[in-house]
Amino acid sequence: MAAQQTDVDELFDVKNAYYIGSYQQCINEAQKVKPSTPEKEVERDMFLYRAYIAQRKYAVVLDDIKPSSSPELQAVRMFAEYRSSDNKSMAMSIQVLLNLDRVDMARKELKKMQDQDEDATLTQLATAWVNIAVGGEKLQDAYYIFQEMSDKYSSTLLLLNGQAACYMAQNRWEEAEGVLQEALDKDSSHPETLINLIVLTQHLGKAPEVTNRYLSQLKDAHRTHPFLKDYLTKENEFDRLVMQYAPTATA
Amino acid sequence: MLTKFETKSARVKGLSFHPKRPWILASLHNGVIQLWDYRMCTLIDKFDEHDGPVRGIDFHKQQPLFVSGGDDYKIKVWNYKLRRCLFTLLGHLDYIRTTFFHHDYPWILSASDDQTIRIWNWQSRTCVCVLTGHNHYVMCAQFHPSEDLVVSASLDQTVRVWDISGLRKKNLSPGAVENDVRGISGVDLFGASDAVVKHVLEGHDRGVNWAAFHPTMPLIVSGADDRQVKIWRMNESKAWELDTCRGHYNNVSCAVFHPRQELILSNSEDKSIRVWDMSKRTGVQTFRRDHDRFWVLGAHPNLNLFAAGHDSGMLVFKLERERPAYAVYGNMLYYVKDRFLRQLDFNSSKDTAVMQLRSGSKFPVFSMSYNPAENAVLLCTRATNLENSTYDLYSIPKESDSQNPDAPEGKRSSGLTAVWVARNRFAVLDRMHSLLIKNLKNEIVKKVQVPSCEEIFYAGTGSLLLRDADGVTLFDVQQKRSLATVKIAKVKYVVWSADTSHVALLAKHGESLLHHDSIMICNRKLESLCNIHENIRVKSGAWDESGVFIYTTSNHIKYALTSGDHGIIRTLDLPIYVTRVRGNSVYCLDRECRPRVLTIDPTEYRFKLALVNRKYEEVLHMVRNAKLVGQSIIAYLQKKGYPEVALHFVKDEKTRFSLALECGNIEVALEAAKALDERSCWERLGEAALLQGHHQVVEMCYQRTKNFDKLTFLYLITGNLAKLRKMMKIAEIRKDMSGHYQGALYLGDVSERVRILKNCGQKSLAYLTAATHGMDEEAEALKESFDLEKETIPEVDPKAQLLQPPPPINPLDTNWPLLTVSKGFFEGAIAAKGKAGQMAADLDMEAPGGEGWGEDAELQLDEGEGGVGPSVGRLSGWDDRSVGRSLDMPSGGGGGAEDGFFVPPTKGMSPTQTWCNNSQLPVDHVLAGSFETATRLLHDQVGVVNFGPYKALFMQTLSRGRTCYLGLPSLPCLRGHPQRNWKDAGAKQGLPAVGLRLSDLIARLQQCYQLTTSGRFEEGVERFRAILLSVPLLVVDNKQEIAEAQQLITICREYIVGLTMETERKKLPKDTLDQQKRLCEMAAYFTHCNLQPVHMVLVLRTALNLFFKLRNFKTAASFARRLLELGPKPEVAQQTRKILAACEKTLTDAHQLNYDPHNPFDLCAASYVPLYRGRPVEKCPLSGACYCPTYKGQVCRVTQATEIGKDVIGLRVSPLQFR
Repeated sequence: MAAQQTDVDELFDVKNAYYIGSYQQCINEAQKVKPSTPEKEVERDMFLYRAYIAQRKYAVVLDDIKPSSSPELQAVRMFAEYRSSDNKSMAMSIQVLLNLDRVDMARKELKKMQDQDEDATLTQLATAWVNIAVGGEKLQDAYYIFQEMSDKYSSTLLLLNGQAACYMAQNRWEEAEGVLQEALDKDSSHPETLINLIVLTQHLGKAPEVTNRYLSQLKDAHRTHPFLKDYLTKENEFDRLVMQYAPTATA
Repeated sequence: MLTKFETKSARVKGLSFHPKRPWILASLHNGVIQLWDYRMCTLIDKFDEHDGPVRGIDFHKQQPLFVSGGDDYKIKVWNYKLRRCLFTLLGHLDYIRTTFFHHDYPWILSASDDQTIRIWNWQSRTCVCVLTGHNHYVMCAQFHPSEDLVVSASLDQTVRVWDISGLRKKNLSPGAVENDVRGISGVDLFGASDAVVKHVLEGHDRGVNWAAFHPTMPLIVSGADDRQVKIWRMNESKAWELDTCRGHYNNVSCAVFHPRQELILSNSEDKSIRVWDMSKRTGVQTFRRDHDRFWVLGAHPNLNLFAAGHDSGMLVFKLERERPAYAVYGNMLYYVKDRFLRQLDFNSSKDTAVMQLRSGSKFPVFSMSYNPAENAVLLCTRATNLENSTYDLYSIPKESDSQNPDAPEGKRSSGLTAVWVARNRFAVLDRMHSLLIKNLKNEIVKKVQVPSCEEIFYAGTGSLLLRDADGVTLFDVQQKRSLATVKIAKVKYVVWSADTSHVALLAKHGESLLHHDSIMICNRKLESLCNIHENIRVKSGAWDESGVFIYTTSNHIKYALTSGDHGIIRTLDLPIYVTRVRGNSVYCLDRECRPRVLTIDPTEYRFKLALVNRKYEEVLHMVRNAKLVGQSIIAYLQKKGYPEVALHFVKDEKTRFSLALECGNIEVALEAAKALDERSCWERLGEAALLQGHHQVVEMCYQRTKNFDKLTFLYLITGNLAKLRKMMKIAEIRKDMSGHYQGALYLGDVSERVRILKNCGQKSLAYLTAATHGMDEEAEALKESFDLEKETIPEVDPKAQLLQPPPPINPLDTNWPLLTVSKGFFEGAIAAKGKAGQMAADLDMEAPGGEGWGEDAELQLDEGEGGVGPSVGRLSGWDDRSVGRSLDMPSGGGGGAEDGFFVPPTKGMSPTQTWCNNSQLPVDHVLAGSFETATRLLHDQVGVVNFGPYKALFMQTLSRGRTCYLGLPSLPCLRGHPQRNWKDAGAKQGLPAVGLRLSDLIARLQQCYQLTTSGRFEEGVERFRAILLSVPLLVVDNKQEIAEAQQLITICREYIVGLTMETERKKLPKDTLDQQKRLCEMAAYFTHCNLQPVHMVLVLRTALNLFFKLRNFKTAASFARRLLELGPKPEVAQQTRKILAACEKTLTDAHQLNYDPHNPFDLCAASYVPLYRGRPVEKCPLSGACYCPTYKGQVCRVTQATEIGKDVIGLRVSPLQFR
């Protein structure tokens, strides 16, 4: 109706689904949308293949993108090949900085993003990440961002786990349980959901069996998950450390 | 000005509101009087007896009467119930201008062009007084609402006030006689008049058309041909002009006071209605018509309603909206009342003023949008000229004194509507038809052109509903594009369900007779699910929890299901605005902005909802338990295709029968048919039963209807030969030849057939039959009878065959397999419910199995706790690892960006490091993943030297230290750090959320006690130990809890020592006396562990038995007494008393044991020997278990982790212990 259609991003749904981690939807949308220009078509394909990559369906990408395909897609193909990203986006910088515990730098980076387009989905997500890292009152803001996105689009594992992280950071364990349960209903073997449940069940004072069940599930389905690698490392560290201690006398 | 209702007719000269009903009388220039229902917008009645224009019209306040006066000089009194004119009062000599009833006395006041005012008694139907004095047409005369006064207006340019107290005294005092000597002129013999002129108000320059009293104050308003409205004041002695309202530019026809506000309304031949502020004497509103001159005004005595008559009809209107502005969030209602923003908690009914609004607008708040994240509101105010509308953005003060709330400074801007679209964004529709997206500072961040948009509505986060001339569009604000559109004109309000999955669009169409409102319910994609029309105003609505839309009209609360079913829940006296619906309660605001709660009976719509959703159990439950009866519900069920449900309601046999057939319930139909016993019923039942293969019922039906043919055929096909033969006999008796023959044919009874044919004179056929089927004798006999001259013997076809029905293998006694489908959903659902119940029962029976499974799970836990992991050392914590990995990626990409150089940022201080810095409590270090410091702390504080048992606890604790959230796709997740002091931790003061509570540990004791009771000692010990070892990993807040934590350790220790010793004892041999003595000693020591009474009883019984057997009666007796002191079960007590009695006979000990119950001792937890007080003893630094000094330096048997006799700092579980 009334609105100007000129500045509408025809690939909005495709991109958006990709950003919020709804990869299958991204693929569906990409197959539905009919781009108006060849450029848009390439752009669409980029998201399509990146969604495939996110789903770990590398073969699809490697088969589909031929040497004759556009250079952009070649890049995506390389991405698939090396499973490493050439994504230079600021969002990634922010994520890296947060992993480095450089909240201060992450905030600066975020400011740049916000100056560009504060309402962009990725900016909003990055804001939420930074807010979680900052903590305190910002946690509620972060929660609202995730909540808003699930209101607007649909709740995804990414958004639900984000909400759960906010709740747990606010020690609102019961609320977190509801959110994580929803995530678990969506995918009962999603590793991050399981990790959060391992955290949550203990804080809720549930029997250790419950926690162990999630841990076992994680071990079964995602043996190579960083969490488990870290877990193993820490076990080894523990074993090594305790060798320093021994009783003065033995029976 | 809001027009509620309009009519088209001849010129309207008089108007009168009914005081109670939604009715108005309009008297027309063409002689007709119309009675309208302005709420339903219908013409109720027409009264056409006057000849020529009718100008005077008035309802009686109590009686079903009204009075009219016309240009035919007649005053008529009518009864609207009887729908006729009761009588006519004659006397005026010219046009009658106005007629009014007195509010109290049985009087009518009339004003006429004959220059007189007359007062009539409508009971005696006579004129009781004539008021003379005006010297031109009297245009209007009205009674004072409470005093004995009359005001009149005349073309002689004066307004007169008359005192009629004389008339009242004369006519209404006891014994008063009318029409006495004074006669009609009202002047008695002494010249005293019943009605005297009190004041003559001069000031108008032309003829005065109207004059009226103020309802409470001593004021008069008048309107005249000099285009002025004048206000007059009077007291006992005089009256004077107060002020003049100038503005009309043609003759003022009528002027009235607003019954409740300081306003005057006037209308004029200049085609306008004007509203004047009484105190400021300025015009505040003007309402114009293009072509119609106004002639008369009417004010409703109680409601905020007015009416105006003009050249081509009339209109009913109010000056301002009475709809309160409100918004609901969760359990809170926010609403505006008297320049205050108020907050009502639905749960506690606490109603507080949270904020005072900035004054400055003469218009009330039109609508509100509330933002829970920021606790901010947008209040929109509509001006008469829409372009001047504004909105205010307020931040609600956090704390407020309800008596005198703050008046925070808001931000005001122009704009038609403002609605929140995100926690920090709102949308404003401005007068240029742009959609402005603004931030919390009221700054524009985005602008979208929406040329044809007339109005915007909330539509969930990031979206808006835009209304244009012919539809509503769901608009994504971020993408600036339309997502969906639905065609519906003039949507006024939009009500979203709580989950925004459904929306109700309330639309208003027209003001005239063709008026109707409609409700369209759409889903999130704006696909119309149903459309409901109401020929009465739809006021408001809200969704209840079950997804039913509850809405109010002017006079009803109604419901609408998304399927389109709708109906009335209850009636209303006055309009209300629904804010929320929960269960049986409808929360609403009335027109005075008072929050109210109305109770409704939701049964009907819940029932329908259950039906629509096919929740048949619920339906059945309601059918059985709710008072849901009546023809309407039966008709509804039948119409909607649920006859089987309706069956449960119906008592009337006929309906029951039809319904039963409709849903194929033969049993019920049979019952009903038996009761009815009508031929038609049996026929219909027979048909239905046959379709289902219910042939026993079919048989009964055919029998009842004596349908022999069908019955015969039924017996044939069911192979019931006996009955088939019987039918043949019956046919013979009934002399039904063909039936008889048919029977024989069915039976294959050839001789019978021959006999029949013979008997009915079909000789040749009989012969042929006999000959063909080899009944030679009979054939011969028949052949004989042929008269060969006249008759020819027919040729027998040599190829003829006997038509013999196949013999039934087995007669069918039972029914054919019945069609199950015809049972219907409902019975099906009930059957399914029964099954579900059984399944539930099965589950219950399996419950013990579940317990067994639970045991397995526990086993797993134990294994896990004792589990051994691969032991490869690695120094770095996991923080380094994850950072390292994510660094790999940007380092390549970032390099190009910064002049070819890339300096990776140094690592910051992680929250886990902060935790370690801020705390000396072991658990904080474990949570931070700093095992090195954690182990050192435990070693120093409680002397842990063997960390094996702590491994599981460490790993578990560590795993709850950090949460996970997903960042960019394909990247490792980000980690959250829940902190127990998250509110004020800042960047440096953080401490981890612990996740292990003292109360949880204490609760776990119960499990251990149960294991103890059931004799599973080893398992019990494991559990007690797990609790004990967990205590140093607690964080508690106060001294009380520190003490409790220490007590918890003691309890665990006592049990572990006791249970371990008992396990040990059971393994010992008992062959020699010494061995037996040792067993007894250990049993005796066990009684000195501090256990729960229930366990102590068991321990004492064991000791008692052993000592009794050893003939150590004296000690046995002491155990018996201790046992009895604990109050054991009666049978145990009885047995104990018996043993005690036996012991007391010989109160001696046969053997010397290392046990002195009177000498206090500690028990060595390794050697299980008593360490009598005063002897050297070594203790475990954590559990406090005692040991002979020889064990010093060894690992404590109780904890299996700590070193006996180690010098330590002591248990530290609270920051208090460091101050």
